[in-house]
Amino acid sequence: MSLVNLAHVCSHLNNATKARLGITSIPNSKMHLNLCLALQHSGYLSSVVRGGPIPPPPHPILGYPAMNDEIEGVEPITQANVASRRLWLGLKYWDNKPVLGKLSMISKPKRRIVLDVENLRQVIRGHKASYVDGLRSPGENIFLSTDRGILESRECVEKRLGGLLLCRVL
Amino acid sequence: MSLARPARCLFCSFSRIAPSSTRVSRRQFHPTPAPLVNRKPKFPNIKAELKPDEFQHFTEEEKAQLAKEYSPAQMAAIEAGEKAIDPKDLADQARSRDDPMKFKYMDDFSVVEPGIDRHIRAPKENSEYNTKFRTEDDFVEDFGRFFANMPDNASGADFMRFAESLRVTEGKESSELDPHSALVPDLFGPGETISEPRTEERKSAAEKGEKERSLQAEEMTEGLKRLLLATGYTERQIMDLRTKTLVSHHVVNQTRLGKVRRHYRLSIAGNGNGLLGIGEAKSEESSDAKTQSRYRAIRNMQPISRYENRTIFGDVKGKSGAVEVQLMHRPPGFGLRVQYLIYEMCRAAGISDLSARLGRSRNQMNTVKAAYQALMGQRDPEEIARARGKKLVDVRKVYYAGKV
Repeated sequence: MSLVNLAHVCSHLNNATKARLGITSIPNSKMHLNLCLALQHSGYLSSVVRGGPIPPPPHPILGYPAMNDEIEGVEPITQANVASRRLWLGLKYWDNKPVLGKLSMISKPKRRIVLDVENLRQVIRGHKASYVDGLRSPGENIFLSTDRGILESRECVEKRLGGLLLCRVL
Repeated sequence: MSLARPARCLFCSFSRIAPSSTRVSRRQFHPTPAPLVNRKPKFPNIKAELKPDEFQHFTEEEKAQLAKEYSPAQMAAIEAGEKAIDPKDLADQARSRDDPMKFKYMDDFSVVEPGIDRHIRAPKENSEYNTKFRTEDDFVEDFGRFFANMPDNASGADFMRFAESLRVTEGKESSELDPHSALVPDLFGPGETISEPRTEERKSAAEKGEKERSLQAEEMTEGLKRLLLATGYTERQIMDLRTKTLVSHHVVNQTRLGKVRRHYRLSIAGNGNGLLGIGEAKSEESSDAKTQSRYRAIRNMQPISRYENRTIFGDVKGKSGAVEVQLMHRPPGFGLRVQYLIYEMCRAAGISDLSARLGRSRNQMNTVKAAYQALMGQRDPEEIARARGKKLVDVRKVYYAGKV
């Protein structure tokens, strides 16, 4: 689990939203995929598609690439093409502003931060706990890597799970 | 309380009336010697006793004087009032109370105060505890009577009238329609909050029928006329706005003729209820610059989103020049623990709980601009929810029907 690559993904997404791109791609990995799916579940991304070096064709109705595209289809992963796979992410904009505002790492490659439920509960209530600033703005989220996958911080508290803090989205 | 005190004493203390002051001071090690006895005033308290002779009826001369001012009907009312009230009662009651049960505040009790007088409950007698539902036969009988007595040209309204008067229970009518309730009364009426005043107080002077204050202070200038035209406000509304000049200094333009000094003023304007604007102006005359910046601030007023009408949504940042402002929302009752320029802005905008941090530089003009930028840069939770396609709920609004 490389946090270096995750840091690159975070800054790449920040750059892509600042450039108002509609679709962008990041290297394929299991952690990146799970984080992107968590972001999509929280409504930050419109689509997450695993494709090749060129962007997958857009869905005829939705207008952006979709995993369940029956006409074009998604190329299945084989041993031959797995190395060239990338994750293609659809970025969202609302009111002339990016929905995915600012992604920033909490854990760093050299210093990983793990929180238990008690501390996480403090954080989502807006208090600082063990060097992690609280969630004090509306719509602010923290994503954690737990033993049940990558989850949003409030979801973790609901499920009484602690974990490694990956990144913060504002 | 000391543990050495016997339990008997402890129980006594519940039944005993607490003395108004302690005989021996609790601060025994204080350098000031404690008085051993209760201090008595040096002079007896002299009360202004009112006597019935001070409330005499009007003499004939006085009545003649009054008749010049009042109409005969009013004079009749005055005389009737004199006759109705005994001077002795006036002497007894026409003064503020000084008994121990007196009210700690001034009020004429003519308006219902939310939280104190609100929710006049129906009396207990309204309820009848042995009410029974009427049987089906009773309803059939009622309908039969209605159809028997129905006029020839019966309309839907007749039936509605009948249906509304139809009772479901037997016995007292008030028990069904207006029963006594033991539930907690509503603290606020519809549309009332702690910060919003009562509807009575919200009325302007004109609505209350008071005299309009004179507008002599600010005569109608060309600039004011243009401001009224541009904003659509009346003079009265402009006067009621909170404006303040926050920054004033000189600016110099270097020309080949020499330095041209001018006055710079930066003003803010707000209505104390969510509107805030800033305006800046330069002029040779300081008073001109001040007026112009004030008018510009009024023209620039824009709505600022406020959470619960007291603080901001989330923590926001603003930057102007080298000034970086960070505004942080705070819980109710926290107050405005902010720098004085931001304090004035919050007062004008009607924000009461906030804290701020100024990073890097503290230039006055840029502080105001950065704070304004930060206040305008708040993200609306409704918009966030719509952008993400998610449902966001403010859990504070779940309790107490969202009225706290």
